[in-house]
Amino acid sequence: MLDIQTLRTTRKHDAIAIGSHKGIMQSMLDFEFLAGYTEPSLKAIISTGTKYVKLFFGKDEVLIPVFNQLSKLPGDISKNTNFIINTRSARRVLASTQEAIDRLPNLLVSVIFAENVPEAHAQQLINLSQENNSTIIGPASIGILVPQRLKLGAIAGVQARQLVASQLFEKGETAVFSSSGGMTNELIRSLANVGIHLSFAVSFGGDRFPAFSPLDGFLAAEKDKETKHIVYFGELGGYDEYELIEHIKKGDITKPIICYIGGTVAEMFATPPQFGHAKAMAARGEETALAKTKALKAVGVHATTSFSTFTQLVETMITRKSSSKKNTESESRLKVIEGRKASLFVNSVSRDVGGSVEIVGSELLKQAQSYSYGNIVMSMLLGKRITSKPLGNFTEFVLKLVVDHGPYVSGAVNTMVAARAGKDLVSSLSSGLLTIGPRFGGALNQAAQHWLTGTITDTTPDEYVESLARQGKRIAGIGHRKYRSDNPDPRVKPIIAYATILSHHRFIDFALAVEKITTEKKGNLILNVDGAIAGVLLDLLEQEEQYSPKDLQELIDIEFFNALFVLGRSVGFTAHYLDQRRKDEGLFRLSPQEITFTKL
Amino acid sequence: MARVKLTEYKAKKLLFTSLKIQYEGYSFDDASIPFAKRLSADKKYVVKVDQGVKGRMKKGLVVLQVEAKNIAGIYKKFHEKGYGRIIVEPQIIYNPEQERYLSIERIRTGFRILYSRHGGIHVEDKANTMQESILPIVTNRSKDKSLYDKELHTIAAALGIQEEIIRHLHDFFTDYYCSFLEVNPFVLIDGKLHILDLAIEVDSTARFFARNAWSNEDIASHTQSSEEEQVVQQLNDQSQAALSLTLLNPRGTIWLLLSGGGASLTIADEFYNLGHGKELGNYGEYSGNPNEEETYLYTKQLLNLAFKSNQKKIRILIGGGVANFTDVRTTFRGIAKAFEEQKTQMKKHQTRVFVRRGGPHEAEGLSIMKEWLSKNDMLGVVSGPEIPLNEIVKRVINQS
Repeated sequence: MLDIQTLRTTRKHDAIAIGSHKGIMQSMLDFEFLAGYTEPSLKAIISTGTKYVKLFFGKDEVLIPVFNQLSKLPGDISKNTNFIINTRSARRVLASTQEAIDRLPNLLVSVIFAENVPEAHAQQLINLSQENNSTIIGPASIGILVPQRLKLGAIAGVQARQLVASQLFEKGETAVFSSSGGMTNELIRSLANVGIHLSFAVSFGGDRFPAFSPLDGFLAAEKDKETKHIVYFGELGGYDEYELIEHIKKGDITKPIICYIGGTVAEMFATPPQFGHAKAMAARGEETALAKTKALKAVGVHATTSFSTFTQLVETMITRKSSSKKNTESESRLKVIEGRKASLFVNSVSRDVGGSVEIVGSELLKQAQSYSYGNIVMSMLLGKRITSKPLGNFTEFVLKLVVDHGPYVSGAVNTMVAARAGKDLVSSLSSGLLTIGPRFGGALNQAAQHWLTGTITDTTPDEYVESLARQGKRIAGIGHRKYRSDNPDPRVKPIIAYATILSHHRFIDFALAVEKITTEKKGNLILNVDGAIAGVLLDLLEQEEQYSPKDLQELIDIEFFNALFVLGRSVGFTAHYLDQRRKDEGLFRLSPQEITFTKL
Repeated sequence: MARVKLTEYKAKKLLFTSLKIQYEGYSFDDASIPFAKRLSADKKYVVKVDQGVKGRMKKGLVVLQVEAKNIAGIYKKFHEKGYGRIIVEPQIIYNPEQERYLSIERIRTGFRILYSRHGGIHVEDKANTMQESILPIVTNRSKDKSLYDKELHTIAAALGIQEEIIRHLHDFFTDYYCSFLEVNPFVLIDGKLHILDLAIEVDSTARFFARNAWSNEDIASHTQSSEEEQVVQQLNDQSQAALSLTLLNPRGTIWLLLSGGGASLTIADEFYNLGHGKELGNYGEYSGNPNEEETYLYTKQLLNLAFKSNQKKIRILIGGGVANFTDVRTTFRGIAKAFEEQKTQMKKHQTRVFVRRGGPHEAEGLSIMKEWLSKNDMLGVVSGPEIPLNEIVKRVINQS
């Protein structure tokens, strides 16, 4: 059973969102900021399309990580999750809730937002909730609210101003329940207007079988020491109120209840009409608003069929706190929220601080004086300051090694052709850079992919080579035009030396094992410079900077490994451009002999 | 939407197919009765209005012992009473004392089965013979099915029929996501099951899971709805938003543009409770963040109905709670566009407009409306959530 006091006293309560509803999530973060939290409790979002969702916490933006499946959630988040806001569509509600309960051991409360969940699924949600002793609120619920502690869902509003106006940062003695989301907010706001504050509030949802039923709510309120009164908005349709009545008769619920059952207007219709909420239809006599109100009155509930009478009852029966006193803390925090502006980009590379440039968090000039060029480049490429000295040194070494490979390669040729056509520096350099791709200069990234996949999937080098051979594919990072196993590339050995000084170097080991197999087939199928650099970089990142295989895969996906080649080789292309302009041989043109004509 | 009633014809088609019983009924919805030729001249038929009306026999909407050639005439008579869809079935001869009753209703904890050996049109008078069993929910996660089997046995024994029949009915009920199923009566002739009258409510939200076994055309509707109501229905079917419009009183003087399930109900209740229910022309809601165009089209239909009332003075209430996501500025632009288009007619009917609404872009929305109403001299009250829901109703009534 839901224990409200636990929600109030639990110091830390982590939440995740299943489905990404920005308006709802932002309102939860705003609530927590206004309540004086130092960080948001929303730890992750299960959704697709992006890696992060950018939300405000106060005036600053925070990035909440997105995972495409619940099973991908990091272990500590799974373990610490107490709350779920589920905004998946009606069709996905049952399956996603079931999965969440199965996977999250410390789940306390899930709120289900979707409308139009089938009744049959709601019945199963009720079973799930009971069997696992995990509270499910909804479907079609805007959530649960405990003043100053917890806002799970859109409850009480989605605009910061509304949250402050509804005085959600004051503790009170009145529990508010409603089958209608809009009326939950309406009641909270109107209570605040007359100086009545909440002990907690729940929106049950307007479906026929709310998984957290009015009875569940009333029993929680009865048990809760802070709650002195219960205010309830119910509607025609269904039998939930009769369940309540049974328990009032038994003495399980004793606190004073003021309630309004909406739907007397149905009496005007010739046949029972369906109102907005799924349950709001009284097909049978005892489901009408009049019948329910009568039955509730008979057991001593202050029940009425009129909203006017209802509000009068509330005002006369509940002692109010002084209404004029404003919560100045939340008011001043609201000013912070209202002054914020969404950014267009997020970046971790550099920024301008008071006119000077800051690179990955520290001032550039100071860095230029104390760090190597390799360190600065690698830090910027990774978006954070690297701590490994060998990685900085290696980067610098690589930048030098890839600087040029003679004027014969495609990129250099294009640069020179453009230069001789009279194009400017940037155009000629671009023409060379644009040549870099899968066949020229793109081998670093491809090789990194081979070594990563081969190593982490526990494939033996034999199997790996064999599977590629079967597909008729070349292995990037393997093979040289000139050098052979008996006449090795002199550059490779010093490259590998950067990895072999590490205590573990599984990626370069895999690459070398592959080389052993390929050179047995053909002498020139040696590990080349690209393959060696890729392997060493993977090892350095894993051992020195604690990159996980997932992080490394991400670097491959965003073409990080090729970046080193592009940067280094730009020097070569620029040199060839300047060289050609100095020589100035005029426009370059091929002669007919150099191109063979053939009919298709 | 939620629970909707299928036509008897569709209900029987579905159930009989599932029980592997041949169904010999026909459904007609026009006077030419194209199927009449297929009906046998020697047989007698039952002709019933098939629009979900309760107590048809008592209301004279069932005719027994009809010859095929007379069906068209009966259809015409029903049509004059405002009905348009009938079901025709071969007359079955049986002893009325054999009529039995069974209904299944989906409830929170499972399925409530009501049953009696004494069914038929006077079933309410035989309430003391009615028995009740609750079947628990059984899913592939359930371990213990013994309670389910035990209840099934009890029901079958009490009705004197095979357990298999009850099991089939219940399987059908869950397979098709039914909410309510009533067989009244059914009879056993020579051990064979005959379902004479059948009513089924299905869960409209589950159509996808029920493999689209029914469509909108299979849903029984009591009366011919007005053109405006039909347009809004279509609009709703094609929209992400929830739009509904029901004509209550064609001569109404107060017309409602409501949003939000609970707040709409509260406002309508308030008129009814204060004794002004008869003045309400309509009930309806625009919810779920409709766009400007949808709100414009919706408002246009409401205005059409209001003008048709031929009332000299019209009051319009744009009412609702504080929306979470429905954009007040966008929806109010749509409403104002329809008003602008119809302002001559609105002035002719001395229209006065009252507003109480909150939500995203509330300030802009309210000011758009206030400005338009002032300029055109139709301003009643324009307010945000600072006045209570019931207060705006009082203002409308006081100025009527």
